[in-house]
Amino acid sequence: MASCRWPWRRCCSWRPAARSPRPGSPGRAGPPGPPSAADAGAQMSYFNLVKSLTSAFPNRYSMSRFHHTTSAACCCSKTRSGEKYTDPFKLGWRDLNGLYEDIRKELLISTAELKEMSEYYFDGKGKAFRPIIVVLMARACNIHHNNSRDVQASQRSIALIAEMIHTASLVHDDVIDDASSRRGKHTVNKIWGEKKAVLAGDLILSAASIALARIGNTAVISILTQVIEDLVRGEFLQLGSKENENERFAHYLEKTFKKTASLIANSCKAVSVLGCPDPVVHEIAYQYGKNVGIAFQLIDDVLDFTSCSDQMGKPTSADLKLGLATGPVLFACQQFPEMNAMIMRRFRLPGDVDRARQYVLQSDGVQQTTYLAQRYCHEAVREISKLRPSPERDALIQLSEIVLTRDK
Amino acid sequence: MSLRQLLLRLPRYLGVSGSPRRLWWSPSLDTISSVGSWRGQSSRSPAHWNQVVSEAEKIVGYPTSFMSLRCLLSDELSNIALQVRKLVGTQHPLLTTARGLVHDSRHNLQLRGLVVLLISKAAGPSSMNTSCQNYDMVSGIYSCQRSLAEITELIHTALLVHRGIVNLNELQSSDGPLKDMQFGNKIAILSGDFLLANACNGLALLQNTKVVELLASALMDLVQGVYHENSTSAKENHITEDIGISAWKKQTFLSHGALLAKSCQAAMELAKHDADVQDMAFQYGKHMAMSHKINSDLQPFIKEKTSDSMAFNLNSAPVVLHQEFLGRDLWIKQIGEAQEKGRLDYAKLRETIKAGKGVTSAIDLCRYHGNKALEALQSFPPSEARSALENIVFAVTRFS
Repeated sequence: MASCRWPWRRCCSWRPAARSPRPGSPGRAGPPGPPSAADAGAQMSYFNLVKSLTSAFPNRYSMSRFHHTTSAACCCSKTRSGEKYTDPFKLGWRDLNGLYEDIRKELLISTAELKEMSEYYFDGKGKAFRPIIVVLMARACNIHHNNSRDVQASQRSIALIAEMIHTASLVHDDVIDDASSRRGKHTVNKIWGEKKAVLAGDLILSAASIALARIGNTAVISILTQVIEDLVRGEFLQLGSKENENERFAHYLEKTFKKTASLIANSCKAVSVLGCPDPVVHEIAYQYGKNVGIAFQLIDDVLDFTSCSDQMGKPTSADLKLGLATGPVLFACQQFPEMNAMIMRRFRLPGDVDRARQYVLQSDGVQQTTYLAQRYCHEAVREISKLRPSPERDALIQLSEIVLTRDK
Repeated sequence: MSLRQLLLRLPRYLGVSGSPRRLWWSPSLDTISSVGSWRGQSSRSPAHWNQVVSEAEKIVGYPTSFMSLRCLLSDELSNIALQVRKLVGTQHPLLTTARGLVHDSRHNLQLRGLVVLLISKAAGPSSMNTSCQNYDMVSGIYSCQRSLAEITELIHTALLVHRGIVNLNELQSSDGPLKDMQFGNKIAILSGDFLLANACNGLALLQNTKVVELLASALMDLVQGVYHENSTSAKENHITEDIGISAWKKQTFLSHGALLAKSCQAAMELAKHDADVQDMAFQYGKHMAMSHKINSDLQPFIKEKTSDSMAFNLNSAPVVLHQEFLGRDLWIKQIGEAQEKGRLDYAKLRETIKAGKGVTSAIDLCRYHGNKALEALQSFPPSEARSALENIVFAVTRFS
């Protein structure tokens, strides 16, 4: 394991201390600064990252040298010749101009305060990761199907709906977790109270459902209502816990799928259904979304240990404090069985959270989880590579790598 | 005994005398003007209301799929039940809600679902459109309409549960430990979300995007309605919100009327009835729900308990009307007069209101909506189901 040189490590050489899993590491090197400066800094380095990926372009698929060679049946080795390489977020945003304004239009209600609460997170400061994937997938599927260079209005709607469902679940999760901050600002429940926060979440969900119904496609409605159910079941899975060590990991992955990946997988599937009649393509879209989604969450769980709170916009060791044993913890437990007792009592005793964190940082839990995330990304890339080449398809490939290398 | 079985048997336990329904059906125009003069048992006795309900249930074939069986038997629900048990001994509102759902024999328990079933039956199959011929029909109701009735109840219950969330920073020591309230909130949110997710899935299975849109917009209305209720029910604030009756009606439509109205309309859409029929169903649902709410608001002023110092809602119909007649300044003065050392003497305030015009005009308003509901029903052909719907209106507009 130690001999593996994770690709992101190479690319991250410009930020020496941040990713080091050494215990007691101060985290991000450099001045914390006000959030906007940090954001700007992160964005700059993010673009640098993109450039370094550009140069690594022909070697991208050599990530597979860790596992097995990509099958020759796919056309993944070709890209559009002469296409200028662009940042997937920029590429996606071309279709998402006015995303937040449009979402706010769906939340047009007369009650001023409720409207304000519901709009609170649609301020343009979120990552909009899900809408980006959705529109890129829409284009990739449309091009694959009939070389169409358009995005249908209904497909763009799915991007809005996905972001709304996601936000509604965040609002409720914050009340459930009694969270005080998110995306660098106070949570809805802290400002307006729990009662109203729950209603705001319900409102956003109802607005998303109305928008979904207006698309007028019953298959798409079925696909996305599955997400709503999965989100709730995921929360329930998180409420309960498995005593058996062996079941814990399966439980963790299932919860990860339901809480995070299901939305991405099913949104991808929905746009592919709208763009293309071929069920093979729907499955490719679904698998891409599912694998990227799981990887995304795994890295999120890693960042909870390796990042510091300024960068994330929310406090870290948040999962431990909630009693949740995520990937790094579960892997660490294999090396340090004394963690079992803490896991079972959900880190409730004083000192548990810190001790657990130390164990994790001393173990290879972070590395193992990252490696697992890479494998999911690789699978996502393998799937999406089956589509006809296009800038959007390549952007999706690149996105899966960005998932691995992000720092917030 | 399962929750569902309990719900179904409750009305029957309270005794049904089975008086012939023919007495209740009076033909044509007499009905419309006679909402206030119908003879019979006082509608205040529980036996009467439950009689109406149980007869109605017979007509729709004893709904066997209320509160979706799948939903009830799921792991999550047993998980929820286990968690709710932990709340016993705490003061979290969820416990009250849960108890209410199981033990409450009052008429607002399954009313919406029952009304949706009745109106489905009353409308019957669409004469125009024969595309529903391969839908299965039991007791004159399509299975998709039964499903819709369940979904309506799921949405209603979900918001009932979400209403019971507690603001943590408003807790007082008398409310008990913080962690109990946090835990209660958690379970309340999850249970409500679980019910909503089931409702959404149910809607998706209906394969009708217009129905999904209707019910989703009803949910949005309901959320806004509940929001208004929350805003005006602050404990410390003894003052009625400064709204007139027309604003009150708009808010009450959101919180009580929209779900039933749109559900009834959706039931017609499922059977492919035309826009006129859909509109009549909507009107029935809307007006019936309004009169039901006003009836409920009037209870503290109608009941004969003399030494009743129980609190009543200051944003209820009679009080809002009372304020409107009096003008805000005089009303605030009356509240001041009814206050002793900062605490409101509800018994005294009740007498003050009863002495004014609020109660009688609320009764009139209730009957107005009742009549509008009956008018809407006239466009449906006479049938058992239609009579049952009329009886429901009579029951909520009786005040003797």
